[in-house]
Amino acid sequence: MAYKILEGIRVVDLTTVYAGPMGTRMLADLGAEIIKIESPNRPDLFTRMTAYPDNEPPEKENWNAGGYFHFLNAGKLGISLDLSTEKGKEIFKKLVKISDIVMENFSPRVMDNLGLGYEELKKVKPDIIMVSMSGLGHYGPLRDYYMYMTGMEGMSGLTYITGHPEYPPLLSNYAYGDWMLGVTGTAAALTALYYRKKTGKGQYIDVAGREAIVVHIGDVIMDYTLNGRVKEREGNAHPEMAPHECYRCKGEDSWINIAIENEDQWKALCKLMGKEELKDDPRFSNMEARIKNRDELNKIIEEWTSQYDHIELMEILQKEGIPSGAVLTMKEVFLNPHLIQRGFFEVIDHGKDVGKRPIGKQMPAKFVGYESYVPSRAPKFAQHNEYVFCELLGISKDELKKLEEEKVIGTIPRFPPGRPTRLDLIQKQVGKGAGFVDPNYLEELRKAFGEDIGKK
Amino acid sequence: MGEEKALAGLRVLDLANNIAGSYCGKLFADFGADVIKVEPPKDGNPLRKRVPFYKDEKDKEKSGMFFYLNTNKKSITLDITKKEGADVFKKLVKDANLIIEDFEPGKMKELGLSYDDLKQINPDLVMISITWFGQDGPYKDYKATNFTAYGLGGAMYVMRPTKWPDIRPAVLGGYQAEYTAGLIGYITSMAALAMGKSAWIDLSVMEAVTSTLTGIMGDYAYLGFYRRTLPWAIHGFPTQENYPCKDGYVNLTPGIGGTQAIAELIGKPEEKDNPLLVKAGARVKEPEKFEALILPWLKEHTKWEITEKAQKLRLAFAPILSPGELFDDPQLKEREFFAKVNHPEMDEVTYAGAPAKLSETPWKEGRAPLLGEHTKEVLSQAGYSEDEINALKEKGIV
Repeated sequence: MAYKILEGIRVVDLTTVYAGPMGTRMLADLGAEIIKIESPNRPDLFTRMTAYPDNEPPEKENWNAGGYFHFLNAGKLGISLDLSTEKGKEIFKKLVKISDIVMENFSPRVMDNLGLGYEELKKVKPDIIMVSMSGLGHYGPLRDYYMYMTGMEGMSGLTYITGHPEYPPLLSNYAYGDWMLGVTGTAAALTALYYRKKTGKGQYIDVAGREAIVVHIGDVIMDYTLNGRVKEREGNAHPEMAPHECYRCKGEDSWINIAIENEDQWKALCKLMGKEELKDDPRFSNMEARIKNRDELNKIIEEWTSQYDHIELMEILQKEGIPSGAVLTMKEVFLNPHLIQRGFFEVIDHGKDVGKRPIGKQMPAKFVGYESYVPSRAPKFAQHNEYVFCELLGISKDELKKLEEEKVIGTIPRFPPGRPTRLDLIQKQVGKGAGFVDPNYLEELRKAFGEDIGKK
Repeated sequence: MGEEKALAGLRVLDLANNIAGSYCGKLFADFGADVIKVEPPKDGNPLRKRVPFYKDEKDKEKSGMFFYLNTNKKSITLDITKKEGADVFKKLVKDANLIIEDFEPGKMKELGLSYDDLKQINPDLVMISITWFGQDGPYKDYKATNFTAYGLGGAMYVMRPTKWPDIRPAVLGGYQAEYTAGLIGYITSMAALAMGKSAWIDLSVMEAVTSTLTGIMGDYAYLGFYRRTLPWAIHGFPTQENYPCKDGYVNLTPGIGGTQAIAELIGKPEEKDNPLLVKAGARVKEPEKFEALILPWLKEHTKWEITEKAQKLRLAFAPILSPGELFDDPQLKEREFFAKVNHPEMDEVTYAGAPAKLSETPWKEGRAPLLGEHTKEVLSQAGYSEDEINALKEKGIV
């Protein structure tokens, strides 16, 4: 049996694009009922049209086939509602009345402009918990800055300390800043839920993505506040460990991370490399010396690692108790025996045009003794209109039709024609290839997740 | 703003030695739970040996790492690896709601403190075990650090600038794999506690890292594509990258202003129809030409000058701020983001504050405890007399 910890909790989800949906996806994985609202005029465009299966947009309903949308919105219910109409607002308030949490990640002015700010919602449902997620926060002189994950990361200090000194500071390249914003919103919502269960009081939560990231480099900032020292980017060097580097392995673009925490591990590494003389070499005989001479040290180690396959080498090192990790590509992540055995990926059937695909957990923790809860596919546009409007809110089917005619709700979004991702351009980009395409990816996935993966 | 504490009345026993579990416990403490850090006698928690140190003095009460990850907690010393210590721990478990632990899988069982053992004492108990790879699976006993778990989780391979896709990947700064796991740990255990459900939660740092890769997981499952940089920077490389300016770097993400607005920004309105500004394809094809157009102007202006002008043009450009520069940021000042507290060994300490602003139950500042500062208080609450506590002290149990 699966353990749905948040069963019975209802969340009105106004979030779009990446950060907000990440947060509500997490609540969905924990078993809450998430009702995602999209406007027929402004559907969740970007993720609905990114990563079509096999890079072919389906002819019909291409808005239901985007891979990014499926990863970000699995387990949620989807309805359409135009909040700029009076009737839309009225229905929205009815929905808030029977819900526990409202989450949104519009620009700070939007909800108040719609007349749907916290003070208004509180009148309808006094104990509602409302979470607003934005780049820099809902008040303050810069609150109206246009912010994406890039700006949030850049203004947090995290980017400044990331990357090699001889190259520019480096962004996360996988929207970590967005993840931080959405997931911090979720953490705050559950904190407020605990308080509400105890006292019956709701509240308003203001999450700034940039601040959510800053708290994750709190220890680095302490060096500034305690010692006035600004941390500069140092690649993979560690202040207390050496060797501590990402080393090249055999093959075109293959790497392994090795981190030596103590002298026992260092001696074991010297022995494995067949270079026992290094442990008595004054340049490397203790941690302090190794940190000082790490460039020389790294060259010696890389000569050795470059003779091995990265995964094979990790296994050799782990046998001797040496902390090491192959730097996995996304293909290797999907085929990783540990993740597969632990059930990290869930096979979700998306029906026509997409088929079954392995979808990664957004809430990876397991409840011991219970099966993991497998969410339903991300909602097709307006898929749950009838359930939410008729069953939950008691709107009759005739009325529903009328609302459709009046364009308060809709079943077909305003949506551009599907466009494939320019994989050719990406492979050629900057002359060296910004990524790889694996033409046999479905066969690979089938080996791990079953023969029917990707059969449409 | 309210003044109540969201988690008042909740008791947490924090056995964590690493960053992830300690950060999880910190979140509980900062929102008002009664969090007791259980530390080994003598040396205390291993994080007390980690940099940065106040004035670089290597002292167990002066670690900034320990301070930051243990604000608002109480500290007791207790050797749970000895039978008598484990018995004291079990007494504390009676009144606890949550246990956070990060020992290697199987260790708690060996000490007679497995979830099953403890549930007999307290049936409502929630316990979260945060380990590098989880309680089972082929990597269960693998050794790891933040750095190696980050690479194995799949995040590291893409950590390269778009312009240099085949250089050595660089880890995200600080300890993001561990903080990520700590935050997920908080969410899961908070969910169980809010719903009044008991649970043993098994969380792996590697899986926490992989779960942050949402979109780029989709790239492989749907397209067979795996990237090694951020190739389709939505607006077309080299926009969205970080570029040098007069006093550092700025990030060039156009946003809703559209790339044409860059012409106005750099004082060359006549360039607004230049294909390099209008067409992503043209930029991607000849990034050096785009750079030649914009770099000279960037080099003459500071990151805040560029950002302020760009934001008025609805360009989402942003300054790359150093940890020190955060303290001059007008937004963080207005939002009173940084917290300040006094500490007996470090004078006044300033540190990063609330991850989120809750209107009724605001986050609270508070210092980290001295080693064993609350041993007496906590043990007498649990029913130990002064003589008993002294006897335990003599035996080295507390």
